[in-house]
Amino acid sequence: MSPLEAQFSIVTSSKGPVLRVSGDWTIHTIGALDARLRVVRGLNAHRPAIVDVAQLKDLDTAGAYAIEKALASSLESPAILIGDHPVAGRMLGEVRKHTQGRNVETRITSSVHQFLEHIGRSVVQIYDEMVDTLGFLGETIVACWRAILNPSSVRWLPTFAVAESAGVNAVPIVMTLSFFIGSVLAFLGKTILQDFGASIFTIELVGFAVLREFGVLITAIILAGRSDSSFTAQIGSMKMTQEIDALRILGMNPMDMLVVPRVIALLVMFPILTFLAMLAGIAGGALVTVLTLDLSLTLFFTRLTNNVGVDQFWAGMAKAPVFAIIIAIIGCRQGLNVANNVISLGQRTTASVVQALFMVIVVEAVFALIYMELGI
Amino acid sequence: MNPAHALTPILDLPEDQIAIRLRGIANRFGKVTIHENLDLDVMRGETIGIVGGSGTGKSVLMRGIIGLRQPSEGQVHVLGYNVWSGDAGQRQALDSKWGVMFQDGALFSNLTVHENVLVPISEHTNLPKSLASEIADLKILMAGLPLSSAHKLPSELSGGMRKRAALARAIALDPDILFLDEPTAGLDPITAGRFDELVNELKETLGLTIFLITHDLDTLRDACDRVAALAEGRVIAIGPLDYLRQHATGWLAEYFGGPRGRAALGLVGG
Repeated sequence: MSPLEAQFSIVTSSKGPVLRVSGDWTIHTIGALDARLRVVRGLNAHRPAIVDVAQLKDLDTAGAYAIEKALASSLESPAILIGDHPVAGRMLGEVRKHTQGRNVETRITSSVHQFLEHIGRSVVQIYDEMVDTLGFLGETIVACWRAILNPSSVRWLPTFAVAESAGVNAVPIVMTLSFFIGSVLAFLGKTILQDFGASIFTIELVGFAVLREFGVLITAIILAGRSDSSFTAQIGSMKMTQEIDALRILGMNPMDMLVVPRVIALLVMFPILTFLAMLAGIAGGALVTVLTLDLSLTLFFTRLTNNVGVDQFWAGMAKAPVFAIIIAIIGCRQGLNVANNVISLGQRTTASVVQALFMVIVVEAVFALIYMELGI
Repeated sequence: MNPAHALTPILDLPEDQIAIRLRGIANRFGKVTIHENLDLDVMRGETIGIVGGSGTGKSVLMRGIIGLRQPSEGQVHVLGYNVWSGDAGQRQALDSKWGVMFQDGALFSNLTVHENVLVPISEHTNLPKSLASEIADLKILMAGLPLSSAHKLPSELSGGMRKRAALARAIALDPDILFLDEPTAGLDPITAGRFDELVNELKETLGLTIFLITHDLDTLRDACDRVAALAEGRVIAIGPLDYLRQHATGWLAEYFGGPRGRAALGLVGG
């Protein structure tokens, strides 16, 4: 049965204007009438206070609301109902009860206001995040110091589990990407340096770039994406299910249980991954150089040792522990800050990856400046 | 028919007085059989409470009725429509005729309470935005929430308020049938009592049929016209609470006869 169209008219009677409604007044039919009803709502003095429901068919609360709002009606002086209807009186009364004295207008804030508010919130948020992260860094250092003083207190089982999932399992992807970066560098070097007749320097380019920058940077970027998101999601879902609270109550410090194992695991695995990334990068560079420049592998490695040297390897390696700590603490902190809802888990996971990537690049730049000053 | 006289799962009533008609329902999970040959008729305008021990498939039964999980066997008719006929038109006709309040509210966590209530309204009607928004506010007020909480996210509300917000969304379209899954679970007795009152009030106003799953004996006493007890894979007993209590056997006797049951039914020290 399809609904009847909702209709109304205003007729005058001896007692004043009467709102005569007919048809079905339900949430599905009143939409068509809204604009005209609003005109009636706007009538101040001549707003009808009497409603004739004799021809009204179906009525639901939405329809009752539309009728009630069009009438000059309040709890003190309710609109007068004429005509018979099984539910109209009760429905109108119920709606009147709930909307009485309440301004049922929606709040509208201007978009400029919203925009400024958004910027303000973000600035404050960035500041808070920075303070919090530094605080967490301090807390982690204290916890790690306790672990160093008393190594038997370290939870070795989770440490090894994290070392496997975040470290060992990342070996293939880290090495593959490094290999490609190394070969791309070699192609680039060969193409550009050829113009100066200096294509042999491709070897130095690959050596410097991979050992000093890319080996460690690729590792950091992959771990920031791979491990940070998993740290945040793991710890965050533990937070949501109150497992962290349970740990605290059982006298176990979440810092010792969750954070220290992750920091230790990454501190150990990150340099190993970096080393493997450097190997793969050099291998990629060597392959391309040897094939395209028609050189021997011996020449490649001789030039590499003589002109690049082991200093560059250590210059790259020195960054590894710093990146490891950045990645571990950002992931853990965001996880511990997850609130008890799904959006927050998503937000925190995103924040964790973004912050880690950001910090890695910033720290990388700081290292570049320091090395430049030191003349390395 | 007066609920006091409707004491069998199958009622001899014409189609238009029946809200939900279940025939020969079976639900199996692998080798585990939850329901076998279950029949049940729910009259229009009544509040029926479903009780049963843990694992008797109260929620599974509800999911079968509201079209979320197809029963392994059997027929489900709601308001005369066959829920599992595979006919999309039949299902769609029902979409705006029932409202469901899930156990944990199942509010969309990224939307405010107001937006949550607006979802069914803007999905199923073509109301102008301002009117839709006003009606959403009306429903929020009818569910007993202050408008100040309308612009909060579900996570910012207390448990009781979340239940009310879920109820506001369930009644957004003035449904004919309201399904409530454990509406008072996890609420303190006072809030739970108010919630029962609210459900009764809404039933009066909106002329609802309510299908209510609960463990709460107070809710059974205060809000339900009839109670159906699930055990052994079917409805073992059905009728008004007093009748059920007097004729309770087996699990049901334990349920009503335990200290908590006796306390709720006012039998302690009386």
